[in-house]
Amino acid sequence: MDSFVIGLVAGVGVVLLVAAVAKWRRRDMPMSVAEKAEYLSKRRARMLPALAVIFLSQQVTFFSTVNSPGSHSAYNAKIWAWLVLSIVLLLALSTKGFWLERKEVRDLIDDENTRANRNDAMRWGFLFSMAAAIAVYALTMFDATVTTRDAVHIVMTAGIATALIRWGMLERRAHRDA
Amino acid sequence: MPERLANRIKERRTELGLTQAELAEKVGVTRKTVNTVENGVFTPSATLAIKLAAALGLSVEQLFWIER
Repeated sequence: MDSFVIGLVAGVGVVLLVAAVAKWRRRDMPMSVAEKAEYLSKRRARMLPALAVIFLSQQVTFFSTVNSPGSHSAYNAKIWAWLVLSIVLLLALSTKGFWLERKEVRDLIDDENTRANRNDAMRWGFLFSMAAAIAVYALTMFDATVTTRDAVHIVMTAGIATALIRWGMLERRAHRDA
Repeated sequence: MPERLANRIKERRTELGLTQAELAEKVGVTRKTVNTVENGVFTPSATLAIKLAAALGLSVEQLFWIER
């Protein structure tokens, strides 16, 4: 099988597995819409920084192996796995998330305070992306070799990781004041 | 001079014997949102302010005011 397909299938598989495990863990928890929204909102606040750490550690692996001689297939698989994770995280950042939940629960989770926190996180993500782009641009002026793929990786990593961390911080603060 | 939107949500909520969760359910938001508005961490929209005032039986001006 083509290495691109393996990476793509692996990335999608991990996402589906995580969603299924999360759903299975809540199978015996009868909750009202409000209780469920509260539960999921708290869980999201805990998950966001952890997702940022996983995402960043994936970038460390990528950059530590990108120029080393090794299997081209493994490299392609890594690229696809990274791309799938990036797209899923971007969708989670820009939509209500919790795609397998009922509409009422999803609407309640995405209430006014959550939207404000998410918008703030996206603003931070955009600013850090731009800062990373400027840094990469400046770096090339000093004769450093940065490929297009490396540059895209750096800019996306800065933006997504910053947005995840910022949103997580704001959500945790909102819950902590309770 | 910085301005702050102060409120008496907690005071009124306690008078009515409501928890944050119960008030949140009445206005259709999560407890987290009520908590952040109550603590002055989050400035609500006009829509939410009107809903909160209605749920607590007060006018918006009685529930919220600007502190300088």
